[in-house]
Formats: sequence, structure tokens, C-alpha cells
Amino acid sequence: MATRRTFLKLGAAATLAAPAIASAQGAGRVVVVGGGFAGATAARTLKKLEPRLNVTLVEPNRVFTACPFSNSVLAAIREISQQQFGYDGVVGAGVTLAQTAATAVDAAAKTVTLADGNKLPYDRLVMAPGIDIRWDALPGYDEAAAEKMPHAWKAGAQTVLLRQQLQAMEDGGLVVMSAPANPFRCPPGPYERASLIAYWLKLWKPKSKLLILDSKDAFSKQRLFQNAWAQLYPGIIEWVSLSQGGKVTSVDPSTLTLVTDFARHKAAVANVIPPQKASAIAVQAGVADRTGWCPVEPVAFESTLQPGIHVVGDAAIMGGMPKSAFAANAQAKVCAAAIVELLAGRKPQEPILINTCYSLVAPDYGISIAGVYRPDKGVLADIPGAGGVSPLEVVGGFRGQEALYASSWFKTITTEVYG
Amino acid sequence: MRHLLVPVLASSVLLAGAVQAADAPPGASSCTGCHAATKIADSVIPRIAGRKAADIATAMREYRSGALSPTVMGRIAKGFDDAQIDAIAAWFAAQPE
Repeated sequence: MATRRTFLKLGAAATLAAPAIASAQGAGRVVVVGGGFAGATAARTLKKLEPRLNVTLVEPNRVFTACPFSNSVLAAIREISQQQFGYDGVVGAGVTLAQTAATAVDAAAKTVTLADGNKLPYDRLVMAPGIDIRWDALPGYDEAAAEKMPHAWKAGAQTVLLRQQLQAMEDGGLVVMSAPANPFRCPPGPYERASLIAYWLKLWKPKSKLLILDSKDAFSKQRLFQNAWAQLYPGIIEWVSLSQGGKVTSVDPSTLTLVTDFARHKAAVANVIPPQKASAIAVQAGVADRTGWCPVEPVAFESTLQPGIHVVGDAAIMGGMPKSAFAANAQAKVCAAAIVELLAGRKPQEPILINTCYSLVAPDYGISIAGVYRPDKGVLADIPGAGGVSPLEVVGGFRGQEALYASSWFKTITTEVYG
Repeated sequence: MRHLLVPVLASSVLLAGAVQAADAPPGASSCTGCHAATKIADSVIPRIAGRKAADIATAMREYRSGALSPTVMGRIAKGFDDAQIDAIAAWFAAQPE
């Protein structure tokens, strides 16, 4: 029978055991590859939920340039500097920043090799590498061609180049955009871009027109966009769908010509939004499949190809969720919470995720699409009855309100992730 | 037995404290994409952290039923049942204002 003395000993043992568990958790090492919305969110959330974790963010760029709202930079509504964010806030939150590129991942040895030759060991790896352009997918469109016909689908120098080309264009010039087949980063993005370029053309180059050559027959928020174009920019934007011969099959950068099966379109300014894939490091790590994107399970977003590696953001195949910054942020928060649970030997809960994407048709005219998602049959699936787009018919200041919400969302996400 | 209970309770409280933030109910972490966890200048989207749970839950139910006509929240609220709404509301109510 236990004496009081034994109880006290047990008590002391239990008290000592707690710090022992804590230091075991503190030894948990998570490496995050990629400092965009997904990666930076994952790194910060991991530290917030479990401050004893060692979290290292691998990101070569000193400054992140955000894609959301970069179409407003093209239309001279914003400056590129308003899209740029440093990593001081991420470091201040306790994340170790490795300011270099990840060159290799060894899933078996659980290490990430850096460009400087160092190797980072991990217990769990989060890959948030974003997209690469598929330079092999559109004949004529290589990295040199992108200097003549910018994609501007990774914000930064490409955005500035396209804006300069638009500003230098003579009034009456034809702007030609090409939009890729699904899936790609930011499904409504090409159409927001067309809208805001048309807004700018109407103000400054009123004799100019914009042609969208599309590899799809339908696109995100389509009726909302098309109604707004008819109302705000009549005669300026022409959309050519896949079945109307809109698919661009090759480009000639020397003459700024976009070629379809039916016509050759010579542009004054050409914006080629090419096919995309998960960034090369995802392929090297073995987490990308034959589609070029990364399959994951729908609870912790762990790769179905490489255990111990989680993939979030645009590189991942997320079922019904689009490749958006909002989605990347939401996935990263769920992934971080799940990793904390997994490292503690617990089972992560089944998540629910939300996506909300705003597009500006004009600076004071916003439209949105939303969705709510949960794991179902191994993928993240839309919850039936939820989500959808802004109403086609609205009264009062609805569109203005959504434009305000769009900028508030951007302010919020960039402050919470980078501030 | 009272003596035994004290340290056991203390250690479970310690562990609970460590994982509390990870215990956000399903859906809650997505809300902070717009409804900021911290105070954000220049945002017209209201924060919900620290609000009364009953107020949050009532608003969500009225968005879902259409009794209130928001811009996007009606479409989002339709993805949640009563128990999920109540759990999210309670969690946000417990967050620092």
C-alpha cells in the first residue's frame, strides 16, 4: 500500500515529467520551403501554436511580391512597392529564416539541402514552393520570349514590364492576352486583369481594344465579368473561347504574334499567361505527380507520394479549392495545426476550410466567389449548398462594398502574414 | 488520494495550455483570413475575436437563413451546421479582443 511519502515521490516525478515532454516537443523541427502566402503563414502559425518548435523558413528572396492586387499595378491604380513585403515580421515571430534556395529534398533521410551546401534535418517538411511556368508547353514561349510578351503571373519585374509596355503603347493599339486551360494560379485573375487594363485603356488610350484568347470555354465569375464588361467597357474587351478558336498554339515574340488554329493575332502589347506546374523543387522532392501538381490527403495536406512532407498553396492539388492566396493561407493554418498534433502523437481533426476570392472589375466595383470545403472520399470537396459568386443583380452599394472588402482582405492577410 | 490528484491535474493543465490554440474548431482558422486576429488599420471588415459567442452565432444563423443580407457571409454560413457555428462562436469569444 502506498504511503504518503510514495505519493509525494510520484508527485515529484509527475511534475518533472511535464518539462521532459515539453523539451521533447521543443526538439520538433519543421522546415518550410517557400515564403509566399502559404509558406510564411505555415511558419508563423507553427510558432504561434507551439512556440517550442524549431521552425526554419527557406526563402531566397529578401522581399516577397504579392500577386493579389498586382493587376491594379498594371492599371496604375497601385504601385509595385505596395505589393512588396519583407520577412522581419516572420523572423520576429520566432521563425528562423534561411535566406537561400532549397536545391534538394531527401525524403528518406528527411533533409533539405540548401544552395549554400548546408543540410537542414526535419521531422516534418512543409513545401509551399508555388508555381513554375511550363516553358515547354507553348511553342515559341520561353524565358527570352517572356521579356517581349510578359506573363506577369509571378508579380514583380514582369508586372512592371507589362505596365511599361501598356504605357508606351500608342492609342489604338491592340492588347492581346492569352489565358491557359485549368488548373492554374488564380482562376479569375486573367479576367480581373482584362477588366482593369480595359479600365485604364478607357481612360488613357480610348481607341485601343483588348482581345482575350482563351483555352477554356468557361471561366470563374464569367457572367459577372461579362455583364460588367458590357456595362463599363462596351466594345473594348473581346473574349474568344476555346470553341471559338481561342486556344493559342504558338507565339512569335519577334513580331508579338499569337497564333491559334484559325488566325494570327499581331499585338501592340501581348500578355501571355502560359500553362503552369508546381515549382521544380516539388518535382525533385518526388511530391509532384504526372500532372505536374502535388497530390495530398485532405486533413493535414501530407503528400500521398512522400510521407512526412506536406504541400500547401498553389503547388498542391486541393480538390475543389482554387489556387488563391486566401486558400493558401487557410490551408497553411490547417496544415500547421495538424503538424502540431502529429508531432505530439495525436490525430489531427477533420478540417473545414473557406475560400473567398475578390476580383476588381473597376477600382470601386468588386465581385467575389466563395466556397466551403471538407474532406470527402480522400479529397477536399465543396460542401453542397454553400459558396458561389456574388449576385448578378444587386442594389445599392453592393459592388462598392465588395471592392472595399477586397482591399481590407489584402491589408489583413499581408499584415498578419508579413507584418 | 487528494495529494495524488494535485500534480496530475497540474501536468494536464500544462499540456492543455500548450495545445489550446491548435484546438480551434473546424473552420475557425479560415475566418481569420478576413476577420483579423490582430488589429488591422484601414480594414472595414469587423474583427470577431472577443465578441460575445451568442452574437456571433446569431449573426451566422441569420446569414445562413437569409434573414440578414450580407455580401459574402451568406454563401459562407451555408457551409456550417448549428453545432459547428456554436463551436466557432465560442472559440472566437474566448480569443483576446
